[in-house]
Amino acid sequence: MRKADTLFAAACGLILTLLAATAWAQPGPVQRPHIEVELVSEVKHVRPGEPFRVGLRMMPDEHWHTYWKNPGDSGLSTEMEWTLPEGASASPIRWPYPERVPMGHLVNYGYGGEHLLPVTITPPPGLQDGSDMTVQVAAEWLVCEEVCIPGDAELSMTLPVRDAPAEADAAVADLFAWADRRRPEAVDWPARFDAGGEQLAIQVESDALPAAAEWTVFVGVENVVDHARPAETAQLEGVLQAGQPLSPYLGELPDAMPVVFVDDASGEAFEVTARPGSLQNTGAAAPASDPTPPVGWGLAMLLALAGGVLLNLMPCVFPVLSIKAMSFVGGAGHDQRAHGLAYTAGVMLSFAVLAGVLLALRAGGEAIGWGFQLQSPWVVGLLVYVLFALGLSLSGLFTFGGSLMGAGQSLTEREGVSGSFFTGVLACIVASPCTAPFMGTALGAAVLMPWPMAMGIFLALGFGLALPMLVLGFSPALARRLPRPGPWMETFKQLMAFPLYLAVVWLLWVLGRQVGADGLAAVLGGLVMLAFVLWLAGRRDRSATMASIRHVAVALGAVAAVAALGAGVRMSHSPGEVENAWWESYSADRLAELRADPQRGVLVNMTADWCITCKVNEGVALNTDAVREALAANDVVYMKGDWTRRDEAITAYLSEFDRNGVPLYVLYPHDGGDPTVLPQVLSPGLVVDAVESL
Amino acid sequence: MIHRSIQLFTAAVVLAASAAVVAAPQIGEPAPDFSVVDTEGNTHSLSDFAGRKVILEWTNHECPFVAKHYGAGNMQEQQRVARDQHDVVWLSVISSKPGAQGHVSPERADELTAERDADPTAVLIDESGDMGRAYDARVTPHMYIIDADGILRYMGGIDSIPSADQDDIPDATQYVMVALDEMATGESVSQATTRPYGCTVKY
Repeated sequence: MRKADTLFAAACGLILTLLAATAWAQPGPVQRPHIEVELVSEVKHVRPGEPFRVGLRMMPDEHWHTYWKNPGDSGLSTEMEWTLPEGASASPIRWPYPERVPMGHLVNYGYGGEHLLPVTITPPPGLQDGSDMTVQVAAEWLVCEEVCIPGDAELSMTLPVRDAPAEADAAVADLFAWADRRRPEAVDWPARFDAGGEQLAIQVESDALPAAAEWTVFVGVENVVDHARPAETAQLEGVLQAGQPLSPYLGELPDAMPVVFVDDASGEAFEVTARPGSLQNTGAAAPASDPTPPVGWGLAMLLALAGGVLLNLMPCVFPVLSIKAMSFVGGAGHDQRAHGLAYTAGVMLSFAVLAGVLLALRAGGEAIGWGFQLQSPWVVGLLVYVLFALGLSLSGLFTFGGSLMGAGQSLTEREGVSGSFFTGVLACIVASPCTAPFMGTALGAAVLMPWPMAMGIFLALGFGLALPMLVLGFSPALARRLPRPGPWMETFKQLMAFPLYLAVVWLLWVLGRQVGADGLAAVLGGLVMLAFVLWLAGRRDRSATMASIRHVAVALGAVAAVAALGAGVRMSHSPGEVENAWWESYSADRLAELRADPQRGVLVNMTADWCITCKVNEGVALNTDAVREALAANDVVYMKGDWTRRDEAITAYLSEFDRNGVPLYVLYPHDGGDPTVLPQVLSPGLVVDAVESL
Repeated sequence: MIHRSIQLFTAAVVLAASAAVVAAPQIGEPAPDFSVVDTEGNTHSLSDFAGRKVILEWTNHECPFVAKHYGAGNMQEQQRVARDQHDVVWLSVISSKPGAQGHVSPERADELTAERDADPTAVLIDESGDMGRAYDARVTPHMYIIDADGILRYMGGIDSIPSADQDDIPDATQYVMVALDEMATGESVSQATTRPYGCTVKY
């Protein structure tokens, strides 16, 4: 009896022990509060050495969910610990991208409904054909609806080992397909993050970024961002930026930040590993030093000289100079040299003035390059008038004389050295519209150089322009080879009017883009008036009365022509010029003045051409109608500083905000109070919001 | 015109959205004041405790993360250490709305304190959630330390291992205890914000 009891007890103990040994890891689905979990395999058998996928199938109750690797503002990510045969290994969880799960005022990242967390198992190559392989996992999760329940399970699965191609298990194919659809593609695109300000800014560069994407961003590390406030994204030409407010509980930032971008439009998803780094150093040039000019100074000088010579052939210059050249024919040698030198002086002085203005403006932070003179519709309009008048003169409509209209031009016709000097000035003036399109690239190098070198290049250009006439002046032999004057010269002069008219057409096109069709019509009306005035000025009078009437008419016509130009140029305040007019260039004095004005706030944008972030922010946020209207409606002046070249004033401004790079966006309230620094990644909503809450 | 209306609408939505975002209190700034009734019917305000350190502990007895720390005796021990050695006013705050998990009557709250041998100075019943929102209390447990000058010195989790497993407690850094020790020696709190982990507060 006792023996039997003991035996029975021993048997029970043995059975219990055996049960315990096998029961810890259960095959098949397991029920836990509010969730069913199961270890599943994509394949029906294991092939020695061939990696295969298994996964934790999780089936929470309706409205319940589990968590992604970054669970969001609360919650816990699911964890798995594997027990595998010797020689086998398990990959980390290949996390499908999650959903945003709002919980009150917080947002979690997780999964509702049936889902699968896949893992790749690599079995040892030495597995025996015909044996079994058992895979065990200890899984821990948190499953939540309104309330949360932690759960765990020890799960196992035994698969037969066969040295035969893998066979998919159709029963779980849909689950693995679901995980594959949501698996972000791991890409090695350059990605940086910066947690300066109160925002995590992420910048990704790739030409493979899908266009027209609608991004949802999941930062893969917990406790970095405020998940309840979704990331704003901006994309422009191969650069994707995202900005998300930082978590108030932010701890240390990791050295590598996985970030998943999901394109809701196409369903594509990718995962980058962002590294810490400031976002601005993405351009070709470094911000700390001057950008390197594309060509060396010596070469640039030579190019400028050659370009200057070529300028003589340009349609705006050639007609004027060829006529001038004729005047050299037959003069006395000494006189010719003086004329040549005076002409050269006129050209070079004019270029020096133009270049000086350009360099001074650049130094003042103006974002201008060569060709800036054509950015003003006033200058373009005046050039149109001058070239048109010159053309009409060549056509024979009138001859420059002592009349009212000819006052300026008559200087160039004046006999003597001063006449040659002013021809040089005129050459520079008429050449300037042509230098912009033809010499822009070469002169682009000049503006990147220190000013004495830049000035040298401009003077080389002027010298090149003056050179042919100078050579003619110093080489009587060459001058003698010019065709003899004769009746053909009149025909040649008239012919030369047409290149000038073409130059006028080109300038009118430039003007049309600045002032629109209305402005252009006004200027064209002004040209007709100019032609009328010039024609009238050239008429002879039969009586003194007629002469007075004519002079009054000429004067009125001249006023009307100038008024037409003025009217046309003023139209530029609509479309074309708004581009330039709606912001001001940064200057410390102007900023101080605006800050002292209680009626006006200021938005300062420190930018640079090589700063991709700046360009993206300007493209997608600052230059939008919404932002412009918000600035206008709230009396906020938009001020831009260009740091493309090192600028001490801007460097000093940046250091006030402990920055050594751009972009920097600073918003000053109307009352002169403390400014707010906006994040590095802007969206229209963010800027509008900031401006309106001033 | 329509375009402009849409923009105005967008702007309005953006403003509304930003207004809805609860701003967390700032470390180094005065902590938000409150006025909440405790289980005995006494109203407590932060200003009542001027000159003393105050610890706020958001709690929900049904939350597994709270159960972890009460079940292991960790929370009670911290309450005693804080009150006995650091002269701290320890306020447990229940912000669960009526009907939600963790909402209790004052009597039940006192029973829970007795059952668990807990030792808070008082248990505040913040049914409206006003106090919780003022502190941007996100989870239970969510911990705050306010110094004698009313300045917020710590906010975040109870410890460094986010789990519901009691076995993790010995290995975890107990942030509140570390912060109290640092404050006692006049140091600044080395980890002033940490990840608060737990169940969401049931506002």
